[in-house]
Amino acid sequence: MISSIVFINHKGEILIYRVYKDDITRSETTQFCAKIVATKENKECPIINIDGTSFIHITIKDIVVLATTKVNVNVAMTLQFLYQLVKVCRAYFGGEFDENCIKKHFVLIYEILDEVMDYGVPQIADADLLKKYIQEGGLKPELMNDVEKLKQLTSQATGATSWRPPNLVYRKNEVYLDVIESVNVLMSVKGTILKADVAGSIQVKCLLSGMPECKFGMNDKLLMQREPRKPGQTTTDKGITIDDLKFHQCVKLPKFDKERAITFIPPDGQFELMTYRITENINLPFKIMPVYNELGKNKLEIRVKIKSIFEKNLFATNLAIKIPVPKNTANVSTNSAIGKAKHEPDQQGVIWRIKKYPGDFEALLRCEIDLGQTTNQQPWIKPPISMEFQVPMFTASGLRVRFLRIYEKAGYKPTKWIRYITKAGEYLHRL
Amino acid sequence: MAYFGNNQQRGELQELYIDLNDLNFEKKKEAIKKVIAYMTVGKDVSQLFQSVIKCLEFQDIEMKKLIYLYIVNYSRQKPDDAIMVIQNFRKDVRKSENPLVRALAIRTFGCLRVPKLNEYLIEPLKDCIQDDDPYVRKTAVLCVPKVFEVSPELCPAILEQLQKLLEKESNALVLANLIQSMREIEVLYGKQLIILNPKIIQKLLLAVDECIEWGQIFILDYLATHDPVDSKQAETIIERSLPRLSHINPTVTFCAVKLILKYLDYLDNGDLVKNLCKKISPSIISLLSWNQPEIQYTILRNISLILQKFPILFENEVKVFFCSFNEPYYIKYEKLEIMVRICDSKNFLQVLNELKIYINEADPHFVRKTIKSIGKIAIMYDKALQEAVTILIEFAKNVQQANEPVQELFIQMQILYRKNRYLYKSNDSLKILFNILEYANEPEAKSACAWIVGEFAEFIPKSVEKMQEYIDHFLLEDRLVQLQLLTSGVKLYIKYPSLCSALIQQLINSAKDSFNPDVRDRTYIYWRLLSTDPELVKNLVCYQVKGSQQFQKDIRLWETKDLIIALENMGSISNLFHKLPNQLYKNIKVRNNHQKEAKIYKVDDKLESPSKEQQIKNDQQNQPPQQNQDLDLLNFEEPASNNNQSNNKNKIDVYDLI
Repeated sequence: MISSIVFINHKGEILIYRVYKDDITRSETTQFCAKIVATKENKECPIINIDGTSFIHITIKDIVVLATTKVNVNVAMTLQFLYQLVKVCRAYFGGEFDENCIKKHFVLIYEILDEVMDYGVPQIADADLLKKYIQEGGLKPELMNDVEKLKQLTSQATGATSWRPPNLVYRKNEVYLDVIESVNVLMSVKGTILKADVAGSIQVKCLLSGMPECKFGMNDKLLMQREPRKPGQTTTDKGITIDDLKFHQCVKLPKFDKERAITFIPPDGQFELMTYRITENINLPFKIMPVYNELGKNKLEIRVKIKSIFEKNLFATNLAIKIPVPKNTANVSTNSAIGKAKHEPDQQGVIWRIKKYPGDFEALLRCEIDLGQTTNQQPWIKPPISMEFQVPMFTASGLRVRFLRIYEKAGYKPTKWIRYITKAGEYLHRL
Repeated sequence: MAYFGNNQQRGELQELYIDLNDLNFEKKKEAIKKVIAYMTVGKDVSQLFQSVIKCLEFQDIEMKKLIYLYIVNYSRQKPDDAIMVIQNFRKDVRKSENPLVRALAIRTFGCLRVPKLNEYLIEPLKDCIQDDDPYVRKTAVLCVPKVFEVSPELCPAILEQLQKLLEKESNALVLANLIQSMREIEVLYGKQLIILNPKIIQKLLLAVDECIEWGQIFILDYLATHDPVDSKQAETIIERSLPRLSHINPTVTFCAVKLILKYLDYLDNGDLVKNLCKKISPSIISLLSWNQPEIQYTILRNISLILQKFPILFENEVKVFFCSFNEPYYIKYEKLEIMVRICDSKNFLQVLNELKIYINEADPHFVRKTIKSIGKIAIMYDKALQEAVTILIEFAKNVQQANEPVQELFIQMQILYRKNRYLYKSNDSLKILFNILEYANEPEAKSACAWIVGEFAEFIPKSVEKMQEYIDHFLLEDRLVQLQLLTSGVKLYIKYPSLCSALIQQLINSAKDSFNPDVRDRTYIYWRLLSTDPELVKNLVCYQVKGSQQFQKDIRLWETKDLIIALENMGSISNLFHKLPNQLYKNIKVRNNHQKEAKIYKVDDKLESPSKEQQIKNDQQNQPPQQNQDLDLLNFEEPASNNNQSNNKNKIDVYDLI
């Protein structure tokens, strides 16, 4: 399968070089390194073929993580593996992944590479699990000599619930749920919605003892239609249509496929239970209404009105609206009743920042832009207006968590916490 | 070793040599780490082999791993020294109670790749395949192809052992590795090793539910190469793979999609097929908006295949392929390609409206592709012609320099004019183009300009002067431009015989000296014709087509007969380059036992028989329309556009009328 895994810095120097099959030579890799340094960012293709060798890579900050192969491998799997590898490294280095880190921990990285891949075939690559038997500075001798413990470890690693160690004990059993939605929207010049979707994620932090069985329910239309109505109960909530759901490996997928019930034995600590995508009936939290005027040859005026479309008792925070301006902008005067707007030349735009923004509210920004003299005759290519924001306790999709039931033989009653937040993903309005 | 010289590298090696032989354990360990660091940056530290392996006597596992890494790297250079480690490995494999140590030893042992060492490996390997601990088994199973690659003659017994293991193994992870390992051996061996029966299929399906993500991929990937015996079996396997569509790992999802799509052909139940399509479609769309662009790219490269066989999956989904402003260009390029493919008689206006926006982007290459896409769509749909010309001419108004997009603009406008010559009237297009003719500098664009000047000479002021300019540099031009200039020159002469008599003389004089034999031949033919029967030339060269011409356009990427093989390999490197595996890899043989023909799944869900459809297309391609037949003799020109560098199937067949 994969012949080698290589980490390369932005200068094209090899930081980590691990060969799994000897059908590849180092000089082939250096050839790739030279090429990758020469290509412009944003244009490089994730897979390149040079003389029968395929180079599959991802770029994380300045580091290129590369897999080479001479056979017809599954590209998506290889890419996903590289991402997973970086994730594992981050988990070991406290979230960091840069050249310093890699150089400092290269011994550990080689150990990880030895474990996560064998003969070019991806193996166990779950950071929590790996941490049990690969540690910086070697394993403790107690564990190395305790055959029983080791057996327990290998049987967990190769078993059907590899993500959860047995016999966990918490004095206080708690679960935290975070529903995080990013709204992606693209509006045309005239303000019609060209495409809009919500990419949601449910993050769970689980501090539970034993082997709890959890059942999770949301206002999913398909699920609610299946549930029997209790007599006398009337409900107006018909639920929402979810286009697609993707689950963490702990969720019992066959059960979901048959009954649409989400059941799982959770890993310990923080994990992403599921992601989802919704395209129907999205409540866009903000409307952007720009007006663009050319006032003579060297002067432009852009007016942007935004309107929040959510309940009055809610607030959006950390708004940043980026209004693009031409490269040859000399001076911008801005005028708005709320927030601060400033021309930021390095961003090539006026950034209008508002800390806190109430629901059902309109605000207007007026920018007058003076253009400097320029030799460039090309007309200005107007990038779209983009927007960042967060709206706590609001979901653009209307998704709600209905229940989280936890069954454990000890019969404890855990405390459950839940938060909702909606963020801007790619929130764009063409100018 | 004691004779290290004075140069710096030698000095470093000597220091390491001293440290490695130091009695202090910590010092040894530090030295080993340095050795590995040197190895990483590509320095040769093979001379330290003996000193390094001496350190194996310690039980420290971190150090052991580093030493093993070193041994694997240099064992083939130092086979004689490597033999000394064998005892260590065997001891680890047989005596250690620690499963991690047993697995580590067998894993590393397999990587030595020295034929004469392998015979010492066979017995321990057999033991490990039967080990009680699944962790050791899953490692041992992957060790077999390593040994097989180097010494296949040692392996027959072990291969049998693997086949038996496939029957009785119950651990999902071991099973997944086993499948992958046997597949690797099959490629090396050239023979089938995995023999599927209903029981094993059942077991594999069960393992998918319990396995780690990679294992799920191995199994699904393998099952996709299997041909189900009947509709019932296909249905069972599909049913059991459906839940995988909800897995968080996009590759697992994609493998499940592939498996299900492949098996659809075997289903008898039409309603079931429709339902399955409904389930699969949102899954693919999620993958297309995946937050890792590299994954998106991989999926996008496979879309044209899916689109060709299952147009039904993307019904009304064209918006998914709209480009975002901030996306990497390699994704935008793919999306553009697909937007053209997905374009149909219902959504072409929507697509054109979107392309209109892209034409203003900054990247010239992207804009060029956009212009080309607009041209392609206009060729396919008569109704799109007018809108396309409007967009392109709007763009032409702002042209101020010779850049990539402008070249494409000329090429596409020429094609559109050929399709319907009356377009020259709309939007003042001819006038606007004429004003920027000087910006054409690529041969293909220049030749397009030359064609335009000749074809519309009577509507262009100073067309003769323009032609004169071109002809003055005739011999400096590319062959393509020379050919077109000849034809256009003749056209001009026919239209203005008195004005152009000097011009045509000069043209023929230069052209007969061209280095290119094609150009010379054509020159002579025109010369003879003009001197014998000018009236005939007029009929031939200034032939005018009434109404819009029919263009045949084939945008299918794959041959219908290759669809099934391509589908089986969805997600692999060969598919990413839009090739069949055997076209990219010499050692891969394509299975040829498909009795079934690939069905095409259309929206109106009539399953068309592909052979018929293709036949019609082929017929149309092979026989030019009747009216052209007598002109064919004079049809010297290149096809008007070679629009795809990678694929010559993609040509627009333009029957050129000189």
